[in-house]
Amino acid sequence: MSTTVNPRQLARYPLIPVIVAMAIGFELSTGSFMGSQNLLGIATDSATLAIVAVPSALLVISGYLDLSVGSTYALGAVAAGWLASEHGGGLLTCVLLSLLAGLAVGAVNGFLCCVVGLSPFIVTLGTLTAVRGLAQQFAPLPLTSFGDSFAWLGGAKVAGLPSPVVIALLVVLVAGAILALTPVGRHIYAIGVSREAAYLSGVRVRTVPFTLFLATGACAALAGAIKASVLGAVQSGTAGSGFELAVLTAVLVGGVALTGGSGTLVGVVLGVAFLGILQNGLTLVGVPTFWQQVAQGLALVVAAGLAYLAPRLEALAAVRPQAARRTTSEPTPATT
Amino acid sequence: MALRVTGLRKSFGGVHALQGVDLTIEAGEVHALLGHNGAGKSTLIKALGGAFQPDDGTIEVGGRSHAGLTPRQSIEAGIAIIFQHLSLVDSLSVVDNIFLGQEQRRLGMVDRRRQREAAQRLLDRLGATSSLDSRVGDLPMGQKQLVEIAKALSRDPVVLVLDEPTAALSSHEIGALERTVRSLQEQGLAICYVTHLLGEVERLADRMTVLRDGRVHVATSLEGKTRRDIIEAIAEPPTDLPPAGPVHDADPPQLQVRGLAGPGIGPVDLEVRPGEIVGLYGLIGSGRTRTLEMVFGRRSRRGSITVGGREVRRATPRAALAAGLALVPGDRGRQGLFASLTALDNALLPAQGVLSRFGLRRRRAEAEAFERLATSLAVHPATPNAPARAFSGGNQQKLLLGRWINGILPTTVLLLDEPTQGVDVRARHEIYKVVRTIASERRTAVLFASTDPEEVVALADRALVMQDGRVIGELAGAALDEDALLHAVHQSDSDLQEQS
Repeated sequence: MSTTVNPRQLARYPLIPVIVAMAIGFELSTGSFMGSQNLLGIATDSATLAIVAVPSALLVISGYLDLSVGSTYALGAVAAGWLASEHGGGLLTCVLLSLLAGLAVGAVNGFLCCVVGLSPFIVTLGTLTAVRGLAQQFAPLPLTSFGDSFAWLGGAKVAGLPSPVVIALLVVLVAGAILALTPVGRHIYAIGVSREAAYLSGVRVRTVPFTLFLATGACAALAGAIKASVLGAVQSGTAGSGFELAVLTAVLVGGVALTGGSGTLVGVVLGVAFLGILQNGLTLVGVPTFWQQVAQGLALVVAAGLAYLAPRLEALAAVRPQAARRTTSEPTPATT
Repeated sequence: MALRVTGLRKSFGGVHALQGVDLTIEAGEVHALLGHNGAGKSTLIKALGGAFQPDDGTIEVGGRSHAGLTPRQSIEAGIAIIFQHLSLVDSLSVVDNIFLGQEQRRLGMVDRRRQREAAQRLLDRLGATSSLDSRVGDLPMGQKQLVEIAKALSRDPVVLVLDEPTAALSSHEIGALERTVRSLQEQGLAICYVTHLLGEVERLADRMTVLRDGRVHVATSLEGKTRRDIIEAIAEPPTDLPPAGPVHDADPPQLQVRGLAGPGIGPVDLEVRPGEIVGLYGLIGSGRTRTLEMVFGRRSRRGSITVGGREVRRATPRAALAAGLALVPGDRGRQGLFASLTALDNALLPAQGVLSRFGLRRRRAEAEAFERLATSLAVHPATPNAPARAFSGGNQQKLLLGRWINGILPTTVLLLDEPTQGVDVRARHEIYKVVRTIASERRTAVLFASTDPEEVVALADRALVMQDGRVIGELAGAALDEDALLHAVHQSDSDLQEQS
């Protein structure tokens, strides 16, 4: 018995063996996957996803949800791009305006969901549409020629790492510290498990998720601005369209339960890495984009299946010793 | 005989809920099943309903013996159970509820005419007055219950189990239900009647079985038995609870409630002194829980709440907690416990902020606080990292008590709603011990609500009897016994009946 692997530990981060297997597979079939150039490329491409997936994950853990991040991303990109291209805005003012736009969307979402108490699914589905319209109304034409100062946001290197990766790391570190080191971290879980019990325990059940809506909005807008800076152009109609689904996929594949109250930041980072590696590897191997999309979708369903099976496997593991005892008292030993 | 249970055993984890229970009910008999919280009544009923497989023993219904039942087999064998929480769909009509899942068909289509006729016959048999087309959600509780019974009867049962059927009924609905039970008895049904109320046992039952600690304590005919005999059969041997601490009348009250009122409640006035334990006794629906929730600010209220001489103006849990009030709610699963979080998080969630420094948690201080708390409350197992759902009901309750009684938070008034619901006998005594100790040693004022008269007598220094949202009586000292509590409720019952 002592030599068998504890299924609970394996069930905790099933993505680790999956990612390792994928890396080996892609390396063997392409020979270029594990190069530092490619890995850095994956990190840069995944950075914007991570920046939004992390606060979104906290929101989902607390029992809420933000579907509007794709449009907030576009609004943030447009706000920064407009200031940079039409008014020669510098790095700081562009980022500030972008963050303000994101905070505004977050405040609307947070007010309607946490204070008024409407369903986050409905509210953020609404703002997803409305904010996209706002971004397009504001900048119907593509914005380009941002100037050197704003280009720095996405193009700079800090200690050899591209700036989007550095920003993503900062977001992960801050969120990780909040979750692991502060009482508020426990409140986020408690609200997600039982809002009523949290309320009766004196937890700020409105303020905490409201703040997470603000953070998610700000991070989505910032991610949009970063991407605009990287690309040197932004188009309000297409920027970040479908991004909300990628974010949600990363969060759920990372093991955060849509019902709230469970999930880890490590899982979410693995979820982001998994999607990034999948896309990059499949591209290297030469799989067409549409098939990649099929693979992403299947990955989500498989992850959901794992999440469904994990507690049952755990229960099975917990029942086992008792079952074993019972079989000894029976004349014919059961094969299970 | 209609039902014979022999040597039934069931353990959950380490808790022996049933330890060889026998129960025999004849056709045409009303059999009272009695015992305190945690004695094994609900486990026995759930075994009959097929909620789990027994570890050992047999269930014999209508001549056929079963080692265990699934819910479906239970229904087919002829067992019908009316739980306190009815299994009706509020948005469907009476007739649709009765035939839900067993629709009468003709040529593959629902035969509505036949259903209506059968449903009307069932309702007539029960003396129910509701129309077939009423939405069940619009019916009063008593009529809903009759619909549930009609649904059970439509499956032609041999045994009808009623789990505290009067707990949520008004006084004249109770009278009607008792008449229904008698007529079903005359029709030859075997009836197992679970209750706390001795008056019902006297009026209805032919025989009784008293469970204690998962075993049959007494099984006897009720012929020629007085209420005193019944009480003696149920009463448990005196336990070694620590003595109640002295309550000084000269002390200013720690909790003072004046003119508390809200929907269906009040006005309620009450006081609890430091170190005093006051019980709010009343039947389901009498307003005990709502009174506690209003004091704690969970519900909006009128009137004034004063803690330690200072008024708590805002009606929110945060304001109440800041003033030194704390509530351990009655619905542990929904309002109290964070089932998937660890024992430590459950016990220390509100204390983590106090223990933290510069906004950061201090894990070592938390671990030490948990250890102290687990020792003083006898939490078992004392593992800080196990999820709360892995604990037994009694230990979950201790974690929730520990959430407020841990020497870190300034709790001076503890509100407890049904403090021992879903808790086994040993844990119940441990919880009593803990509550007594914090009252006498820390001078915490305790206000608890309970539907169990024995619990009120065991724990309270003073009892307030509640009915229809008001305090209708007060009992203390030698005058506080189970008889007096039951009498207080039934007294006003008969008053009401005279009025109506």
